[in-house]
Amino acid sequence: MKKTNPSFLNGVPELLVLRLLARQEMYGYQIVEEIRTRTGEALAFGEGCIYPYLYYLEAEKQVSSRRQEVEGRNRNYYKLTARGRKRLEALTSEWNRVTTGVSLLMGEQHA
Amino acid sequence: MPDFIEPLRRRLLELGCPMKQLRRLVREVADHREDLKQAAVAVGLSGADADACANASLGDPLVLAEELMMALRRSFWWGRHYVVTFGLLPLLAYPILWALLLVLQMALGFALGYGWNWKKLHAVVNNPVAFHHLATVYQFMDYAAIALVTLLFCWLARRAFVGLKWMVVSCAICSLCAIIWWGRIEPHSFFMGFSLNSHLHMPWFRGAIPLLVAAAMYVLQRRTTRRFAQP
Repeated sequence: MKKTNPSFLNGVPELLVLRLLARQEMYGYQIVEEIRTRTGEALAFGEGCIYPYLYYLEAEKQVSSRRQEVEGRNRNYYKLTARGRKRLEALTSEWNRVTTGVSLLMGEQHA
Repeated sequence: MPDFIEPLRRRLLELGCPMKQLRRLVREVADHREDLKQAAVAVGLSGADADACANASLGDPLVLAEELMMALRRSFWWGRHYVVTFGLLPLLAYPILWALLLVLQMALGFALGYGWNWKKLHAVVNNPVAFHHLATVYQFMDYAAIALVTLLFCWLARRAFVGLKWMVVSCAICSLCAIIWWGRIEPHSFFMGFSLNSHLHMPWFRGAIPLLVAAAMYVLQRRTTRRFAQP
């Protein structure tokens, strides 16, 4: 995530990672790629920045990881835990509240 | 090992990252780098260019090492509040330590069969040889408790990934506390105090115990860093 993002975007990387992991298990590189492609390259993690987030989420028991060999390569796969799912619900609700508020304001200005 | 990974590993070592976490962090970032390199090769870059591209995408390894350590630190209460944990809690640890010490002594008394038998206890404190043994046991327990409290804070510092600096700070405060807070037994009396004038035998030794623990931890950390510094 770019450093110039305003502070109200704090929590967005967490939301994006949890949202992706809610669908399927993923490894670090895959998460970065998915965020880039699924947001139409509007959002992009710094490649290394994903790991501090993942380790933090794992220490908070929001995600769990396991080492798995796929196509001859060992990778750490992350998946959402029950606590992570609850956190995702809370973040999604907060995100919806913020975007609704911003949309209302923008609508007022354009009207 | 590629240029990016080695500086990352060294910086993590310098920051006091425990070996188990360090191996995992390095392995995972190396995997990520390999994926980036393969993606760059797939779009037509040469091996060397793909390497450079992968390194550039990952950013500065030193900054990444610090961010990784920060993320690990943030996940513990004592890592987020390290000033309180390592600067203030050692001050409170000593009164608790005393209480534990007294409980331990009473337990020891019960274990040796004295219990609340005042006649037996009086016989011990009135007998200079027996009292000398009792005082020696108290002294040993006092030293052991100081070392244990210091080790507890060292262990917390390692668990919270706050680095050697805060480990040394907590040891220094433990040392100061060990000098200032004191307890002393005499026949029929137990004294506790909070002053520099404790009238203890070798009061400096109590203060030296946490510093010895800090020195041992520092040497251990340096040895680990040197042992694993070679690629």
